[in-house]
Amino acid sequence: MYHLIHLAMNLNLSKLTIAAFRRKTLLYGIFMFLLLLASQSLWAQSAAEGKKLYQTCKTCHTIGGGRLVGPDLKGVTERREEDWLIKFINNSQEMIQAGDPTAVELFNDYNQVPMPPNNFSDDEVRSILKYIEVVGEGGSVEEATAEKETQPQAEAEEPTAEKTTAEQAKDEIDKEITQRMLERSRNYSPVFWISLLLIFLSIFDLVITRLIKARFVHVVIILIGVIIVTEITVREAIALGRQEGYSPDQPIWFSHQVHVQQNKIDCKYCHHIAEDSKYAGIPSPDLCMNCHNVIREGSRTGKEEIAKIHDAIENNEPIKWIKVHNLPDHVFFSHAQHVNVGQVECQECHGPVEEMHRIEQVKDLSMGWCINCHRKAEVVNFESNAFYEAYVKLHEELKAGDIQKVTVEDIGGNDCQKCHY
Amino acid sequence: MKLKRYIFNLLAAAGLLIMITSCDHDRNHPGWVYMPDMMYSVPYDAYSPNPVFSDSITMQPPVKGTIARGRKPYPFERTFQGQQQAGKELENQLEVSEDILREGKRQYDIFCAICHGEQGKGEGHLYTSKLFPAKPTSLVDDYVQNKPDGEIYHVITLGSLSGLMGAHGPQIKPEDRWKIVHYVKHELGKSN
Repeated sequence: MYHLIHLAMNLNLSKLTIAAFRRKTLLYGIFMFLLLLASQSLWAQSAAEGKKLYQTCKTCHTIGGGRLVGPDLKGVTERREEDWLIKFINNSQEMIQAGDPTAVELFNDYNQVPMPPNNFSDDEVRSILKYIEVVGEGGSVEEATAEKETQPQAEAEEPTAEKTTAEQAKDEIDKEITQRMLERSRNYSPVFWISLLLIFLSIFDLVITRLIKARFVHVVIILIGVIIVTEITVREAIALGRQEGYSPDQPIWFSHQVHVQQNKIDCKYCHHIAEDSKYAGIPSPDLCMNCHNVIREGSRTGKEEIAKIHDAIENNEPIKWIKVHNLPDHVFFSHAQHVNVGQVECQECHGPVEEMHRIEQVKDLSMGWCINCHRKAEVVNFESNAFYEAYVKLHEELKAGDIQKVTVEDIGGNDCQKCHY
Repeated sequence: MKLKRYIFNLLAAAGLLIMITSCDHDRNHPGWVYMPDMMYSVPYDAYSPNPVFSDSITMQPPVKGTIARGRKPYPFERTFQGQQQAGKELENQLEVSEDILREGKRQYDIFCAICHGEQGKGEGHLYTSKLFPAKPTSLVDDYVQNKPDGEIYHVITLGSLSGLMGAHGPQIKPEDRWKIVHYVKHELGKSN
């Protein structure tokens, strides 16, 4: 628009002074303005093209956003010569091998991670450089300015929104879990103590004070009281030693819901030793770096929580995760046996982990629970797995059709010494 | 007088009982157990803290230079030259078979598909949902398909040169890495 107005003004001007100027000058003037216009639009166009091509670069570089895998590109056109840049962008390794001092220095500064060779034409590289210039300066190309404007805005908005959602999410989960805890244990202790007190009072009255003359009142109160007290005691006694509902605060606010349900990462990606080991494995911080070397800000928790992993690696300190699913020491349990051979899904024992922000023990992990599953669960690959060949009788029965399936119990899964030794 | 003493005694007993037996259901507390000496392991477990070592880790890394039984140390470095050398010197010892491709696919789906996509086109969920900013390399294009097996194995083991793909050697066993290489070359490469 701006240029068009200029052109129009120029034309008006030309009309007014047409007599004073010769034809040639007029033509020359128009030509110059057209050229300017064309070069301006060309410039914008090439920056726009550069933006497209820049997609390749942005995985490792930022413009004014600090160091990533490679250096920040803001002002790169001032730091280096254009010819050098064209050469380096297309084949940095060649330059390093040739011993170009700047290239070698850069290479060493950035942990000797080579920049992959590109196949850009010189003009394409120039358009990328133009785009970098435009964005680095704040931008005068429409597209570039538009992007520049939206970026800080989005950044300004996000942190506040994140904070509230993070807090909200935390609060909601806390509420949900305490609710579940209450429902399950239904804190019976007041009922327990009131009925105990009533029993004592009625015995007291029966023997010493004798305020109530009718004896059956005492008897009824004592009987009901004893039933209630016994019931609650038995319940609590069974629950003792089981950790159902145990959901401790972890050192890092790590969410399985985000990683499994939202990001769709397989359980075994992180718990990769589950198939071969007694333990499912707590992933080392190095493994987190497969993604979090780039992703340093969470959509819910901001930068703080992810920074804890980086700190752990830098300071070489273990992250003290709290183990949630504990079995007594006198029970042997192996993940390899269940995940690999038995092909049991993680969720069967650990509950809907993919829905949990903070991990919680859902199943009681009691012996009865183990035994029940062993009774029902069918042995996987009983016929094809050579390990089971020793069970000759079971094979015969299966072939004869006497039994439909072979359960874990059939092959001795419920023998004492299978788990206790 | 007698009565008062009785009442006092009773209340004291009740109070004591409450103190001893009250059950606290706190999500931060694993709860009480019957026999702690049978519940908690006396020897240090793999993941339990250890007072013997200064960094309190039971699973101490083996002495530097230790070679695990049945394994070979990996001689190549995460450099351009190292990768090319791995491509020249390493060979896939496994023969392509249905079982190996099936297992390769299973491993691929666990460890690779999240970024490189189930079809191997570099359109995994983490990229398409814009959670991870960089486009993962397409494994079905000529660029990867023309690389020797050893180079693909090298990248799985130590990660990519750009540093965007991390080292997956610690996660995936060597034989499984070779199975993935087979799967990438013989099934993904052919179906696309």
